[in-house]
Amino acid sequence: MRIESLEQFGAAVEAARQAHLAKGREIWVCCGTGCLANGSKAVAEAFDARIASEGLQASLGLYHKATGCHGFCERGPLVVIQPEGLLYAKVKVGDVPEILDKTVARGEVIPRLLYKDPTTKQAIAKYDDIPFYRHQTRVAMRNIGRVDPGDLDDALAHGAYAGLAKALSTMTPDQVIAEIEASGLRGRGGAGFATSRKWKACRKARGDRKFVLCNGDEGDPGAFKDRSIMEGDPHSVVEGMIIGAYAIGAHEGYLYVRDEYPLAVVNVGKALVAARERGLLGANILGSGFDFDLKVSRGGGAFVCGESSALMRSIEGRTGEPRAKYVHASDKGLFDLPTNLNNVETWADVGAIIAGGGAWFAGWGTQKSKGTKAFSLVGKVKNTGLIELPMGTTLRHIIYDIGGGILKDRPFKAVQTGGPSGGCLPADKLDLPVDYEILADNGSMMGSGGMIVMDDRTCMVDVAKYFLKFLSEESCGKCVPCREGLKQMLLIFDDLCTGKGKGGDIERIERLCKGMQLGSLCELGKSAANPVMSTLRYFRAEYEAHIDHKACPAGMCRDLTSYEIVEEPCTGCHQCVKVCPTEAIAGKAKQKHVIDPAKCISCGACFDVCPEDCIRFTARNGRKEAAHAHADH
Amino acid sequence: MPTLTIDGKTVHAEHGTFLLAACRKAGIDVPTLCEHPAVEPYGGCRLCVVDVTRPEWDGWCKMVVACLFPVEDGIVVHTRSQRVLDTRKVVLDLLLARCPETPLIRDLAATYGIATTSYVKNPVPTDCILCGLCTRVCDTMGMSAISSVDRGAGREIAPPFRGPPPACIGCLACAEICPTGFIKAESGLRKRRIWEKDFDMLRCPECGRSHITVAQADFFAGRGGVPRSYFETCDVCKRAALAATATRLGGPPATPAR
Amino acid sequence: MSEHACVDFKPVDAILSRYPREEPSLIQVLQDVQRAYNYLPCDVLTRVAGELGVPLAKVFSVATFYKAFALTPQGRTIIKVCTGTACHIRGAPQLIEEVQRRLGIGPGGTTEDMAFTLQTVNCVGACAMAPVVIVGEKYVGAAKATTLATHLVQGGGE
Repeated sequence: MRIESLEQFGAAVEAARQAHLAKGREIWVCCGTGCLANGSKAVAEAFDARIASEGLQASLGLYHKATGCHGFCERGPLVVIQPEGLLYAKVKVGDVPEILDKTVARGEVIPRLLYKDPTTKQAIAKYDDIPFYRHQTRVAMRNIGRVDPGDLDDALAHGAYAGLAKALSTMTPDQVIAEIEASGLRGRGGAGFATSRKWKACRKARGDRKFVLCNGDEGDPGAFKDRSIMEGDPHSVVEGMIIGAYAIGAHEGYLYVRDEYPLAVVNVGKALVAARERGLLGANILGSGFDFDLKVSRGGGAFVCGESSALMRSIEGRTGEPRAKYVHASDKGLFDLPTNLNNVETWADVGAIIAGGGAWFAGWGTQKSKGTKAFSLVGKVKNTGLIELPMGTTLRHIIYDIGGGILKDRPFKAVQTGGPSGGCLPADKLDLPVDYEILADNGSMMGSGGMIVMDDRTCMVDVAKYFLKFLSEESCGKCVPCREGLKQMLLIFDDLCTGKGKGGDIERIERLCKGMQLGSLCELGKSAANPVMSTLRYFRAEYEAHIDHKACPAGMCRDLTSYEIVEEPCTGCHQCVKVCPTEAIAGKAKQKHVIDPAKCISCGACFDVCPEDCIRFTARNGRKEAAHAHADH
Repeated sequence: MPTLTIDGKTVHAEHGTFLLAACRKAGIDVPTLCEHPAVEPYGGCRLCVVDVTRPEWDGWCKMVVACLFPVEDGIVVHTRSQRVLDTRKVVLDLLLARCPETPLIRDLAATYGIATTSYVKNPVPTDCILCGLCTRVCDTMGMSAISSVDRGAGREIAPPFRGPPPACIGCLACAEICPTGFIKAESGLRKRRIWEKDFDMLRCPECGRSHITVAQADFFAGRGGVPRSYFETCDVCKRAALAATATRLGGPPATPAR
Repeated sequence: MSEHACVDFKPVDAILSRYPREEPSLIQVLQDVQRAYNYLPCDVLTRVAGELGVPLAKVFSVATFYKAFALTPQGRTIIKVCTGTACHIRGAPQLIEEVQRRLGIGPGGTTEDMAFTLQTVNCVGACAMAPVVIVGEKYVGAAKATTLATHLVQGGGE
């Protein structure tokens, strides 16, 4: 039913809220990409089937809904039972009858399914008591995991489009921009440009035809906040875009979504259809006289299309080659018309800011970085997943209090932020509060909010090489410094990691970094040197070890590393044998095992599983020396 | 009219023009490889980088490419600052690694003091510097018969499916604009071959010279109301005919009638 | 060139009918063509170019620029190994090697019997379950080299 006026909108929200309250109990099954991969679809279907076959909706007032990502993907499939707020982790189809019979019907908690804190080993029943959630403050992700992304009424019951209704009914476009300015909101895609300034410039631009775009081409490897927002609460993005369009004076927009995110493409598409049906998109939105409509444009698989001018070329149906930005997109963007582009998370913040007020949002954060920010906390950390926190939270709080510390309690080595444009921060930076300026001042950047935690088994030269390889595959190839520079830089790093590094390599790397930073056409090339520069800045000794001693201190560069099993305390548990991909380990049960160096490819799989810490790695040349020493005896 | 300072010289530039034109107007040489007056600026070779600043910026400079940076009143431009020269050197060093045998690149690199590349030489030397002049001129001609293919380090210029380009009319614009001679064409009295595609030549009915391809005449015939016969006659004969007409009418057409 | 004779134009014509005949439709159309044909046959690209009014060279340029498109037929099951940062440091390279050892194909390669194609993807955004392999449509989280074979058998059997 189309909502024709603001009064009708209020009535629709009230109806949705009443319908929501009428549901006595709810079971939320996370159906984000992470949980789906762990089998949550079958779990959701099992709940559906059993609720239907046993008539539980009538008898217990029980409803089931599939929600977006709860963020705690590693523990998936996640099931939340409301109103108690119980969280069950790693739920299997076989657990469904027991959950319904015990927990839902009789209020009994099933201890086996509860989350156990890896530090205290204590089981925690309530969603809100789990440290991973307790420390979070969610704005952009306010409704993810709480609403069914395919149900607009559910979203309305949880406050969706309230900001839009407020903007259209009580605010002028200039007042909307002033509110965003008061919130201090800056671009959540990474660069951190003030959103209100962008909007103002585009509002001022001449021309009747303008565009608002959403950058959903979340290409930073290790970041997936935008995916989760688009999958789990697409209406928050749509609402923000309509408000932005109203402020700017645009009537058309595109949501550019990575094609590698199939569920996001589907859910965003459904949200547009639903919003259009209800009069939240299209002509005369909510009877306000304002017209705006949105289309989805799927990307083709190119990281560079996260760059604004390349993204616009891609929407135009062309190759994603960036252009010089001496003329701003606010004047000449998509189809050479005034265009405003913001990131998914930025758009998702807008509706909440308008509804809650700029001052409310600005109540969090640091002097220059206001509000909250979503991060993907991944890598060698115990609790991986998606989190949202006030700006200014320290890295230590994020990694240890929320992330639960390093996997297997190994030593922390670095945290990589900002994706391929960012850098790696070492242990002595753990107490830095996270904001745009502080990260940049320390050689990294905010980027898309990816935080990849690394332990002592991560080689920093290899990490830099990883990003170089990534970028050389993703460079569009238009300009010389980026195309040829990345190619040459990768060749140097190939040498470093295979023991062919030589004196002067570091200086050559530094010179090339400078040339790429200054000479490249777009931000991809300009920032391509960052992972190299930051690892050189904080882990120079590791580079020198690769060059001077042909050694990889982390034991990751295979050509430089060899593995052996030490006599004590190998118990012959056989675990290493099971994981060895080349059958290089031999030994009878309960007797000391031996690695055959001829078959060993130095992958380190055995090292990672050994429960007794009896596998040792040494520099390959070191082993040879040791072998010689042995022969002398 | 914007007034700017380039390497200490005061230059008045046309509004809406780019910095490169202003530099040339001031007689200052800025190297370029992907710029040509026949096509839109591109900003791909990065050789024309210069530093731009303003007195109120307190010494802070931004590096821009002159071919694409619109002139602004009051800017101060340094075309040979140390970091500009260093950046150009990195670019030339990299290009020399890509094209170690290309005379144009070798000569330009030599003027920046680079005799051999400090990087790894391309094991398969090429003359293509990926300046994009050929594809841009082909677009300008309205053909778009060739394009850039692939991306990143694997980028190259090629026709569709790397075969003879169906849309090519054999006009040779790409071969003529190519600064390194990478694009090869063979033209004879009857045949022309470019991009592995063969064309029949059209011979001028007046002098018999073969001056364009049949495909070119077919493409242009009828455009803008000009008949095919106009394109069949070569430019030399057309000029001769025009001169003859002028002579017959009495006096050169240079003096406009009053 | 023998396969061209038997290219069926019905799917591409159905795809084209869903989009406006203009350049901005190009990438969207090619996405659908890739899904319908499992690759981009040249005759189909020529048809797309003609129908959308985009020069064939531009279509070829786009088809080779974006990673989502393949110009050669792909295997019936596509194995995507995520090479995002989180997957990389948790062992994605070992997974690629394992597939190479098992199937004898490197990234971008297709087995001779057309059963599998190995692709690497720069982050599928499932970093919390790193390392991730997608076999067909199935996401395998916390993938291990030693158990990968089972998933390949299951994926290939579908």
